Amino acid sequence: MKEKEAQIKHDLHPLVLYVEKEDGTYGRVESASFLSKNYLDDYFEKVRKWDAELKEKLDKGEISPVYYYMVMLEMGQGDLASRVGIPKWKLKKHLKMKAFEKISLCMLKRYADVFDVPVSNLLHFTVIKEKDQNKLSITYQKASNNPYISLSIIETIEE
Amino acid sequence: MKEIDFEHKMAAHCESGTVTALLNHSGLEITEPMVFGIASGIFFGYFESSNFSFPMFIVRNKPGSIRKNIIKRLGVSFYTKDFRNQEKGIEELDRLLTEGRPVAIQVDFYYMNYMPEHLRTHINVHFINVIGKNEESYLVSDSYYKEKAQLKADLLHKARFVGGHMAPKGFLFYPVSIPEHIDFEKAIRKGIKKAAHDMTKLPVPFVGVKGIRKFAKKVTGWPDLARDIDHLSHEIMKINVFLEDQGTGGAGFRFLYATFLQQAAQKINDTQLEGMSRRMMAIGDDWRNISYFAAKIGKNRDLGEERLNELSQMIYAMADKEQDFFTELYKMVK
Repeated sequence: MKEKEAQIKHDLHPLVLYVEKEDGTYGRVESASFLSKNYLDDYFEKVRKWDAELKEKLDKGEISPVYYYMVMLEMGQGDLASRVGIPKWKLKKHLKMKAFEKISLCMLKRYADVFDVPVSNLLHFTVIKEKDQNKLSITYQKASNNPYISLSIIETIEE
Repeated sequence: MKEIDFEHKMAAHCESGTVTALLNHSGLEITEPMVFGIASGIFFGYFESSNFSFPMFIVRNKPGSIRKNIIKRLGVSFYTKDFRNQEKGIEELDRLLTEGRPVAIQVDFYYMNYMPEHLRTHINVHFINVIGKNEESYLVSDSYYKEKAQLKADLLHKARFVGGHMAPKGFLFYPVSIPEHIDFEKAIRKGIKKAAHDMTKLPVPFVGVKGIRKFAKKVTGWPDLARDIDHLSHEIMKINVFLEDQGTGGAGFRFLYATFLQQAAQKINDTQLEGMSRRMMAIGDDWRNISYFAAKIGKNRDLGEERLNELSQMIYAMADKEQDFFTELYKMVK
């Protein structure tokens, strides 16, 4: 690859490429991701679509919240089961509502910790209307002494 | 913030970048391509495992091997430790920082929250250097980030002690001593020999050039594994991610390896290696074309049988080229 082909600017995703310089030597140059620069919108569009489709399935009871987060975070079943600390066959059951509705609160918390969300987010989704998405933001704060309780803080985004 | 005087520099790859920066800090002048090449970093493997959400391929040797091979071939020694007990692991890192020592740690990339959110995925084999600390945060030098970054202590602890596939177990390391004399010629030849061997001679059907062929064969079956066309498009575009964006220096480490071969040729005065370096750069360009092609057909949802066959043929061609290349390279250093 020639150095001039590596002139990609994209602050969100810088990276180092090794290229052929003008004098014929090879070396490092700070460039950026070609994919992120050109196709990031397509990726976000897909994520939005998956999110909507999966929420619809959740609504119908066809999948469990565990399935929802596993797909959205692109985690493999073996890896997820090992992070949660359960066998894979058990995880597979938890992907359906039938077994999910029987799991204990403490198991729910183990999933929530791996998915990096408050426990309540496995049972409750908060949606900001599209027209307000640039105006409002939600952050989650954990109660300091009770890991099962969380506070959702909704606030206007300051310009 | 108590900060250790440490030169931060972005690198192509996290493990070779981290090891190179630590060696440089300890006074050994060596480049990232040299570290990568001597450590036989170049590789290929195609995997189908429940640890991943979809079949995937790797383009480098096993995480941890760069450090291990560098120890073996350069004769440097590293202090390494992992921990069953989280408290002990935290104490040890803090103690080393107080001594003024930069320390490399293994982490789950997901918790590096200075990176843009969409790039953060659960990968347990990310390496960073820790170079400072205050009450609530650590200062880290991450090869994938432009500047030194602060990471909240609770996130760093989480990232070091998560479970899952290849869990980090708080693993940390730093160089202890560097020999006065290093036989670079021997190290370079051994590094090349091992890489060329593993690419062409391992009796495993999914690694080396056999792995490239397996990938070429299997990719046409991906539509059956995908949830829908968008998912298929996403996985096809991830070919570009694995080759270009996950810390490879471009073209699945092939550009980095070409640079190594050039630097090695100069260091040990071997014109044959210079020629091989040119060839590796050209092979890299072909891989980069596959990246562009995958991105384009993915974006256009142009993923019919014919197009995937075309992609498959491009990958088969790489297997042939790399087979010739590494077979010849092996003979040169034998």
